[in-house]
Formats: sequence, structure tokens, C-alpha cells
Amino acid sequence: MTGTETIAKPPRTGGTRPGGGRLPLARLRDFALVPAILLLVVVGALIDPVFLSAANITNVLQQQTELALLVLAEAIILIAGKFDLSLESTIGLAPALAVALVIPAASNGLGTELPAGLAIGLCLLTGLAIGAFNGLLILRFKLSAFIVTLGMLIVLRGLQIGITGGQNLFDIPPSVLYLGSAVWLGVPASIWISGSLFVLGIVALGYFRHGRSVYAIGGNTDAARAAGIRTDRVVWVVLMIGGLLAALAGLLMTGRLGSVAAAQGDGMIFTVFAAAVIGGISLDGGKGTLFGALCGVVVLGLINNILTLAGVSAQWIQAIYGAIILVALILARLTSGKAQD
Amino acid sequence: MRHAAKTPIGLALAAVLALGTVACGDSSSGGAGGQSGSGPQIGIDLPRADSDFWNSYTKYVPKFADEYDINLMSPTNSQNDVSKLVANVQAMVSQGAKAIVMAPQDTGAIASTLGNLESRKIPVVSVDTRPDKGKVFMVVRADNRAYGQKACEFLGEKLGGKGKVIEFQGSLSSINGRDRSEAFAECMKTKFPGITIFEEPTEWEGAKAAAALQTRLAQHPDINGVYMQAGGVFLAPTLQVLRSKNLLVPPTDPKHIFIVSNDGIPQEFEAIRKGEIDATVSQPADLYAKWALYYAKAAAEGKTFQAGPTDHDSTIIDIDNGLEDQLAAPLVTKENVDDPALWGNQIGK
Repeated sequence: MTGTETIAKPPRTGGTRPGGGRLPLARLRDFALVPAILLLVVVGALIDPVFLSAANITNVLQQQTELALLVLAEAIILIAGKFDLSLESTIGLAPALAVALVIPAASNGLGTELPAGLAIGLCLLTGLAIGAFNGLLILRFKLSAFIVTLGMLIVLRGLQIGITGGQNLFDIPPSVLYLGSAVWLGVPASIWISGSLFVLGIVALGYFRHGRSVYAIGGNTDAARAAGIRTDRVVWVVLMIGGLLAALAGLLMTGRLGSVAAAQGDGMIFTVFAAAVIGGISLDGGKGTLFGALCGVVVLGLINNILTLAGVSAQWIQAIYGAIILVALILARLTSGKAQD
Repeated sequence: MRHAAKTPIGLALAAVLALGTVACGDSSSGGAGGQSGSGPQIGIDLPRADSDFWNSYTKYVPKFADEYDINLMSPTNSQNDVSKLVANVQAMVSQGAKAIVMAPQDTGAIASTLGNLESRKIPVVSVDTRPDKGKVFMVVRADNRAYGQKACEFLGEKLGGKGKVIEFQGSLSSINGRDRSEAFAECMKTKFPGITIFEEPTEWEGAKAAAALQTRLAQHPDINGVYMQAGGVFLAPTLQVLRSKNLLVPPTDPKHIFIVSNDGIPQEFEAIRKGEIDATVSQPADLYAKWALYYAKAAAEGKTFQAGPTDHDSTIIDIDNGLEDQLAAPLVTKENVDDPALWGNQIGK
């Protein structure tokens, strides 16, 4: 291992940020969305003073926690140069399977009635296993990540409907509800969890060896491998972390909504990609930062909130929502001055 | 490329694994359907497998097929996808269906299929939705305008004609959501002009409803009524939000928020018994299955029907492309929630 360490250094700086002198510009890209966020805050405050109240801001953040975790997962996977579309099904299947294993058959459970204390562990384990299985297909069998995870998206959703018989699960054990509904120090626990995981992700990807190697792999896999990075192992771990984060997001969503809907997470992957791309993550891998992705999530959350507060008519809300996303992209392009990809 | 040699074996393993999973799914999900009665074959397509309401409908289908001695083909499921529905219908036709029961969730895109079936003289019974174009023998559908109307009257009365009500609309692209929204808005405007309505579009998604409710409560803490157009998706998220804000209080408390729902699933009845919500309109899953099969059989046997009141407490009306039997949907409150005739009380018994 000591041997690989020294060789691993060159791609770390060379592969991701060609030329040390351009580093400030790359940093600027992280903050490209900050003007858009400030603009949204001003617009929100003008539309309704309630917008700036602590309660409302807390609501916005809490509603975005599950999306934030999925975006965190997707951003890391995208940076590593892979895709995971199946996250939107994991967010439903993981809690559904865990809950179905612990609740009685009369409440649409599987009848195994395992102790309720195991539910959270089962849920996270399911997410981890899904990520590992994705990794097996993508890395071992060399299948296209896009198609594999598209297939998994359908399979996992189908499994959830098969396991629950298509029913919403209402009878949720309190332990599963806890994380999504608890309040720590006056702020919902889910905000603490998502926030600290983002900080952890930013630090890990920005300053740690394994984190930096994710960029190197996404930028140029062959170069990274030549430099001694165990590319497959790192990507595999990244995919497993992705599944784990999606399962955690599923727990938070279940706690917030008080049930596991049969369609939980359905269609969410589009929003996940929108947030990641608005936040400056490149679909080609190797570029973008988690802070940028987080900004993307915040932008989408603020837009939603403002449209609700403004009472935009139901027929027009989707058109306006889409248009604002485009404006945010243009604004980010103007302020960062760099071509988007 | 190191693993190239292992790949074929691995792929084979994966394929076996996948096949195993599929087989498991098959054996556990069987049950409904199969040839039973005599007479002309009747095909049925189920619209989706992921909602409580349609799952109950699915359970009632074989029951009533037995009762009417219908030669029912194995039901297909179109998973809320109109292209799957079209493919399923084609398969049924080639298998010799003499009448078809379907529930097209996309009421526009089914038109050409209906035209095709008409040219082959295969009558169609449409359940729950009214196709925009194309000949149908009978639409079997609850009067969705009455849902909105009943919800409005109940809320208006309980609130004494003033207050603020938040409404979780379904999807405006579905006729049922539109009918409920329009009737609710119209009734509120004429009968209870003192009540302010906040219309929240949700696309039938619980997460969107919960977000809208949180935001509105921050903006207007004095909201005292909720109308949700589908209990199946909105009930748990709404209760969870209100619980977190300590607003789930008995109806005698002045802080109580009056909640009216639509659907009539068992969980709603449970919430009514606990005093968490106040009323729901029960969408008759059993009657849908019953009358859809009844009309399908009658159509295959060449019977015809006329507009006017029926013998089962409903009215047949003339629509441009056929007839529609508008079934009654009862309002369920604390007084009649234990009525065994409600389908929500028959499930799992």
C-alpha cells in the first residue's frame, strides 16, 4: 500500500484540476449558484414576509433533506464517472422491505414479524446490498452503468410492489419514524443528519486520499489505474455508499410522511439529476463539487416554496417551475463564466 | 480486462438469479382470474397495482365474476401506462374476448383503441374514467362531482361558513381530479363565500401535499380545514405533519382542523374512529367491479340500456360517446363509519 500511495499523487492534482494556477476559477464554480439563491431569497421575501420566518426556512430545509441525500449519493457517483438511476427505487424499497419484515401480516407485512428494533438496520443493509449488486453488474460483468441501474430501477420498484402487494404501509414502527420526525435542539433531526453528511462528503472528497481518487477515476480511469488507484474497488465502495444514502433518505421520508407509499420516490431521479447538474456536477464524471450540488438542492427547494407561497395556479405551476430552473442555469452560466457540460 | 474470462459464467449466474426472482414473484402473485363461468369470454385490464383502492377492486373482480357466472379471461395489468393497456387489449382481442372491461387512466390516448374495438364490434366498459373520445358501451364511475360537493358541504357546515381551507388537488390532467376540484370550488363560492380556499396541486403525491401543508401552516397558522382528494396518498403525510405541530386534537378543541377525505380505505375509517379526521367519501370499489362485470356480460349478450334512474340507486346519463352509470358514493362520518356495507369495512374479512 505504501508503494501505491506515492504513485497516486500525480493524478490527484493533475487529473482533476489541470494547472494549479486555474484553481481559483475552479473554486468560483462552486459558488456559481449563490447569486441565484440570493435572488430567490429576495423574491421570496417580497412575495410573502412569512418566507423569511424561521419556521418556513426550517420547513424548506426539512422537505429537501431526502432529495439532498439522493443528490449527495448521485453527485459522488457522477464524479466517479458512473450513473445510478436506481436510487429512486431504493428510497422506496429499502424502508418498505424493512417495515414489511417487522409488521404483522394483517398490516400488509410479510408475516415474519422480526423485532422492530432491527428495522433501521435492515433498511440500511438493503440499501448497501443494492449498491453492492449494482457494483457487481457494472464492475465485474462490465455492463453499462446506465442500463444496469435503469433495469434495477424497474426491478426494485417491482419488488416493492410485489412485497407490499401494492399497498401503502401505514403501520410503521416508532423506531423507523424517529429519524424523520424527531427534533434535535429545535431543528428537525433530518436536517442535522443531511447537513453533517454533506460536510463529511465535502471534506472527504476535497481533502482525503480516497475522496480525491474518486475525482481521478471520473476524470480518467485508465490514468488513475496506471497511477495505482484500485479503481474498481473505489467505485464499488462509492456505489455502495450511494445505496446506503438512498436507504437513509428512505428512512427520513418514511418518518416525515408517516407511511411508505407504494410509489415512494417514483420519478424523483429527474429532480436528483436536475439538482446535481444545476449545481455544476458534470455528467461526464470528474468535475463538480458537493457544495455546488447542495446549492442545487437548495435552489429547487426555494423555488418550490416560493411557488406555493405565491399561490401560483395549478395549471401553470409546472411550466413556471421548469422555466425558473432554466433561468437558474443561465444565471449560473453567467456568473461562473464557464461553459457547462 | 482482467475479468474477461470470468464474465460469461458470471453473466449466466446473474441470469439464473434474475430468473429465480421472477419465478418467485409469479408464484406469489397468482390467484385472481382463470376461466370459470360459461358464455362469451370477457377480458379485463386492471389499471395499476400500486394503490389501495385498485387493489381492493382487483380483489372484488373474481368474486363478482363467479356471482354472475362470467367466463372471465385472466386479468391483465397495464401499470398506469396507456401503451401497455393498448397492447393488453390487442392480446385479449386475439384471444377471443367478446367484451372488454378497462380503466384507462389516460382518457385521451385511448381513443384510437376504442375506435378499433368498435369496428370489431367488441363493446367496452370503462371503469372509473370517462374516455374523451371513442365509443364506450358503459362508463361505470362514481359521481366525482358529488365528492367535491359533499366535501364542501360538510366542511362549510362544520366551519360555520368562515375560515381557511387547504385543498390537496389530484392531478388536473385526470377527469376525476378535475371534477372534484371544480365541484368543490363552485360549491364553496356559491354556498360559503366566507371560506378562503388554498388549492394545492400535488399530482397525487403525498410528499408534495405534506410540503404544501407545512408551508401554508407557516403562512396561515389559522387554517382550520383540509380537503384531500385521495385518502390513500394524502392521509398519512397530512396526519404526520399535523402531529408534528401538535394540531391533531379532538373535534371539541377549538384548535381542531376539520379534515374531509375521498376514497374510503380502511385507514381512513380508523382515523375517523380515532377522531383524527372527520369524514370521507367512500369510493365504491365493490360496486365498480360488480357493475362493470354486469354491464360487460350484458353487452356481450347483446342487451342494451337507456338513460335514466336504475334499480341500484344510481342514474345512467347520456354522454357523447355512450352511456355512464353514475354510482352513488356515501359520505362516511363518525356516525356511520362502522356500517358493514362500506367496502372499507369488508376488506380482510
